[in-house]
Amino acid sequence: MSDDQILFHNVSKFYGDVLGVNKVDLRIPPGITSLVGPNGSGKTTLMNLMTGLVHPGSGSISVRGVSPFAPEKLMRIVGYATQYDAAPRGVTGFGFVLAGLLLHGFPRAEAERRAALAIETVALTHASSRKIAAYSKGMRQRIRLAQAIAHEPEVLVLDEPLNGLDPLVRAETIALFRDYAARGRHVILSSHVLQEVDVFSDQVILIANGMIVAEGEIRNVRDEIHEHPSQFLLHCQQPSRVAALLFEQAEVLAVKIDPEGRGVLVTTRHRDAFAAAVQRIALSGIEIDGVLPMDENVDALYEYLIGGGK
Amino acid sequence: MNQIWIIAKLEMRRAFFSRRALWVYLLALFPAVLFFGHGISVQYRRSEYAGKPVTPAAVLDRIPVGTPDTEVLATAGQPITDRKWRRRDLDRRSLQYFDGSNRIWLEFENGALKSRNRRTLNSFDEDSKVYAGVFQFFYLRLAVFFGCLGIFINLFRGEMIDKSLHYWFLAPVRREILLLGKYCAGLIASAVIFGGGALLSFSALLSYQSSADLQGYLQTDAFYHGTWYILSAMLGCVGYGSVFLAAGLLLRNPIIPALVMLLWESINGFLPELLQKLSVLHYLQSICPVAPPLDPNVPPLMRMILAPAAPTSAWAAILGLLAVTALVLYAASRTVRRLEINYGTE
Repeated sequence: MSDDQILFHNVSKFYGDVLGVNKVDLRIPPGITSLVGPNGSGKTTLMNLMTGLVHPGSGSISVRGVSPFAPEKLMRIVGYATQYDAAPRGVTGFGFVLAGLLLHGFPRAEAERRAALAIETVALTHASSRKIAAYSKGMRQRIRLAQAIAHEPEVLVLDEPLNGLDPLVRAETIALFRDYAARGRHVILSSHVLQEVDVFSDQVILIANGMIVAEGEIRNVRDEIHEHPSQFLLHCQQPSRVAALLFEQAEVLAVKIDPEGRGVLVTTRHRDAFAAAVQRIALSGIEIDGVLPMDENVDALYEYLIGGGK
Repeated sequence: MNQIWIIAKLEMRRAFFSRRALWVYLLALFPAVLFFGHGISVQYRRSEYAGKPVTPAAVLDRIPVGTPDTEVLATAGQPITDRKWRRRDLDRRSLQYFDGSNRIWLEFENGALKSRNRRTLNSFDEDSKVYAGVFQFFYLRLAVFFGCLGIFINLFRGEMIDKSLHYWFLAPVRREILLLGKYCAGLIASAVIFGGGALLSFSALLSYQSSADLQGYLQTDAFYHGTWYILSAMLGCVGYGSVFLAAGLLLRNPIIPALVMLLWESINGFLPELLQKLSVLHYLQSICPVAPPLDPNVPPLMRMILAPAAPTSAWAAILGLLAVTALVLYAASRTVRRLEINYGTE
């Protein structure tokens, strides 16, 4: 077993007859890893499995050499901010974070210091004495994050951590993830929007229907984006003529007249060559009003890989 | 131990003040209210009769049946009340006297003494037996039983409903330790509530007794009885608490374990001796200091349900109860280790 990696070996989990995840093999190195998939794809199940909240039906899991069946060891190195939007009744933000630290065995004074620091990190100091029940969704999200980071875990697991955060706090939270990753720690987070996490993730794991569809470093995923066919809309006054000219280009896979009459829809695998071709057509005197990418975002890759809509 | 205590402290608030279990206080306080109420009524009667003329009991007892009412009035003097009425062609008369602690009614038919009825203003022996009956048949069988259901079943099941159980599972604590911590929180809360309830009701019982009765009781059995009443209520919490904590791990609906347990406790007298020892009530009945009054006309079937089948000695009962509790907690700890967080949404 590797002591600095998170390992899933042939892990399956069913909830009765319902598939959670199926035959998952993963090796997650330190850094920021994003689990991406649509709702119900198995992201939360993977996170719950690695934190021991659910147990695998088959296979084995190791989190930096620790089994999820040993919470007394595992949770010393793991902090998990779940998606469950509930907190113990009647507790204040400070009390919530403090309780977690007391359970870690910190002396009260030290626990109070750490709780205050964690709450300050998520910019909630002003609301720490208020009851969590009175928090907004974003504030509840942040207080859960504060509890997860308060004991400075080596593995930070975050289920949809950016949901409900305003842009400023989102930027600060991402900076926090980067800081954690830079110190050789794991940051595992989930999202159903690839676009949201691809900017700062070192690795991406795409999951659909309980199975790993793709995994790897983010730059490899980006390469796949460039290799998979992209669609563009050419705004022009003479769509039939432009379509005919584009058909002659080897890099163009398909051309059709936009049914809404805006111009021509073009599918290509080589963007640079396509751009050169459009330039040549424009230089030949045919007026091109504009080129609009129809699917130029990372979600397109996601749809491409899982073969369906989100 | 430190972790158990930290968990217990964190859980204490939920155990004491869970909105779902505030009715537990009503159950715990009911006998105290009952006996305080009875005490007030006794005090009222005492003050009512304080100024009434006293006729020595010996004078009244010496009057033979058949004595004419005029002669009785001449011997015993003016009664407190004098009621006359006619029924079934008979002239009836009732004279009430007071001997200082008892009310005595002399009943006449057609002017001759027919019978005499005596009712005390308050009888400590009678109250003591009534208290024993209330304690066993209501307090232990119902109040402590359902109170523990309300407190202990919430410790896990309540958190599942609130979707907050995972916070405990995400702490660096063995699940068995978590179970014990929560059990301790529930036990402290229930023992304080029901031990306190027993103490309060026992105090209520003593609060209105005559000073002679009270002095006599305090110098003999009061401390012994009071201690065992409180102890048996607390031991009820120990036993029922473990059962309902375990039930909260296994079942969503608390009605089911409550009914099953109630049935099990009720049919205990019909079970083989070995199975009888797997009942909490079996041990609790054995350590109650005063046997509750059982009407001799109670049918044998009902008698088996109400009375312990084969009472054991107090210390054997305590050890037996602790053994049953340990067994249940061991089974619960194995369950909690396998417990998964599944609030029904994925």
